[in-house]
Amino acid sequence: MTSLSPEWLAVGHYQPVWPGGYKSTIDSREFFLAPGGKTDPQAELDATIALFQSNDYQNQCRFPARYQLLKKNGLTAAPFPECPELEKLYRDLQPAGITLLFTDAYMSNPSSLFGHTLIRIDTARKGTQLLAHGVNYGAYTGEDENPLFFAVLGVTGGYYGGFTLKPYYDIINTYNNIENRDIWEFELDFTPEEQSFLVAHLWEIGRVQSRYFFFSRNCSYMLMEALDAVRPSLKLARQFRYQTIPLDTLKAVYDRPGLVKKVNYRPSRQTKINHRFKLMTPVQREEFLKIIRREKANPEQLELQEQADVWETAYQLVQYDYVAGKLELPEYRQRSFEALLGRNRVKAAGKFAEEETGKSPLETHEAKRLVLGTGFRNGEAFQELALRPAYHSLTDDNYGYLRGAEINFLNAAVRYYDRSDKTVLQKIELAGVRSLAPVNEIFSPVSFQILTDISREMNPKTQEEGYVFNFTIGAGSTWALSENIWAYFMTNTKMSYGGFLPRDQYAGVSGAVGLFADFERVRVLTEAEKVWATARFGEKIRWKAEAAVTLSRNNALAFNYLYEQNRGKNLNESMLSWRTYFN
Amino acid sequence: MKKIYLTSLMLGAALLMSAPAHAYDSTGCGIGSMAWRGQRGIGPQVLAVSTNGTFSQTIGITFGLSGCDPEGRITGGTQKMVLAFLENNMEQFAMDAAAGNGETIDTIAGLMNVDKSVLGAKTQQNFGVIFANADVDAVDVTLKLFEVVKA
Repeated sequence: MTSLSPEWLAVGHYQPVWPGGYKSTIDSREFFLAPGGKTDPQAELDATIALFQSNDYQNQCRFPARYQLLKKNGLTAAPFPECPELEKLYRDLQPAGITLLFTDAYMSNPSSLFGHTLIRIDTARKGTQLLAHGVNYGAYTGEDENPLFFAVLGVTGGYYGGFTLKPYYDIINTYNNIENRDIWEFELDFTPEEQSFLVAHLWEIGRVQSRYFFFSRNCSYMLMEALDAVRPSLKLARQFRYQTIPLDTLKAVYDRPGLVKKVNYRPSRQTKINHRFKLMTPVQREEFLKIIRREKANPEQLELQEQADVWETAYQLVQYDYVAGKLELPEYRQRSFEALLGRNRVKAAGKFAEEETGKSPLETHEAKRLVLGTGFRNGEAFQELALRPAYHSLTDDNYGYLRGAEINFLNAAVRYYDRSDKTVLQKIELAGVRSLAPVNEIFSPVSFQILTDISREMNPKTQEEGYVFNFTIGAGSTWALSENIWAYFMTNTKMSYGGFLPRDQYAGVSGAVGLFADFERVRVLTEAEKVWATARFGEKIRWKAEAAVTLSRNNALAFNYLYEQNRGKNLNESMLSWRTYFN
Repeated sequence: MKKIYLTSLMLGAALLMSAPAHAYDSTGCGIGSMAWRGQRGIGPQVLAVSTNGTFSQTIGITFGLSGCDPEGRITGGTQKMVLAFLENNMEQFAMDAAAGNGETIDTIAGLMNVDKSVLGAKTQQNFGVIFANADVDAVDVTLKLFEVVKA
């Protein structure tokens, strides 16, 4: 092994840098034994060899994975010292397997629309994997900081990231039961030696810190580097040098031949409740609703198995309501207890198959999107080319994504206008998040949107065009008119800034109503919005419609329509386009 | 015009502020206390974050003092392990015990080294003993569970 061998580079988290050489992702100085170790794999290798020739047992205990590499390659003959803490870690974990976990989007948390990944160290303990441990990489933030702060610092590398280790039951509680996110478990085909090596390596990097970047050096990226350290031939991290979307890392792992040996699905509490509610017979449903509304119920009229299902679902809903803050503790305990006693009276198992199989995150469309379109703007023909690095729009195919959730990042559109023979940057959507979540008999979430973009707009009075920075934030509600058609309203507040605007800027408030229809292969989004603004420029009524038809997993045909009335001057735009998704 | 500025400013501020500090409530050691100690209430955080602990600090099942057992009523390694598990999984265990099967029954059967179907049957038959009322805490449940299994 030389200092440029893949295994040494991987265990030191070295990545190639331009114009040459290497630099480690790890920022903590303690991680490096050599003074310039962060950028010098050779010096670091020499220092590590020297360490294991010394009697510095304390520091030797910090690097069990490096030791294993040296030993395997004949670079040390010394025995590994006794390290009580490390041995306790192995005793607590009792590693018996490695599983990559993927948790899908969490409605109330915009950043989570990307999903999240963790590594689970499966346990040999008897019973279930509830006693296994999950390894989580995240940013260390202050306790009660402003969420806007989180966003800015998180994206710009203002936080340090580090690892935490938690029992799997804690992870299930956090994701399945509190945040209501489905969990997918991907069991990896690692040998016992590799499992042990991963624990040793996590021990090395468990205490160190690195700058955290929300879009690149994030939770999922560090896990890729950790898996590379175990098996350098996987070459996972290099695929995510500029942008790391958790879902993409999952696909990359799945694409490595033979690496994933089994996939399990663990639906969230909300998924379970919804699924069970759908499966109920009309009478069952009636009894269920009576119980949760605390009306006089008569579940005894149902078959035993049906009763069991009703009580179990009612119990889960009580738990949900308590977590959501809708019940106070005494009432919550009372109602939980009633459901438990009800369930206990029925000496039969429930009938519902525990859960549906879920829509695999592996079969979703890719995150990068290219749009080629042609259309008319106020009668003038144009061609459009748009590129979006990430991630998912409402009218993209929702298979495996959270329906009604949208996150777009750096979506840029360039247009060529035929008559005026000019090519312009039409719009950059810097970041956009929308969440339409329907209110139903059981759940009542808030719908919201936060949109920022730079758009080329026209001042109707002067016919002059220029760029405007727009920021919109809004909240509202969504209702499901049917399984496939949702209606929503939003009240928004807007701020716009642009050098060519009268007085450079304006602010506005708006009300919008819309319909979102998702028939799986066909999606339609329509919206009418009325804006009141501090400048005439901003006062408008806007009608928008967007439709897309899936051709294949990564191809779709779309149509966009926009009509704006602004003080008698109108804007009328339509475009037909082809959307292709790639990685 | 000023009104619209003001309205949009206030609306924007309200929307930002509505994302929220969590309610930290101390709710004892019974049902509804353990899983989301300090985590109750779903508020949109803008970044998924973890704020406590590092790899070497938050490890494993704690065999030492339990937060729910300051008087040390639970003795013995297995009992402490079961208590530590129950403190964090009471809701699910309560339902699994009432129904007579489930993941938490399997886990506790593993910890106690007993057959899981036997444990399931016993908890279902003796549910009223293990969960005497709505306010039982994890220590009560652990002690009663061991009595029931021994019987």
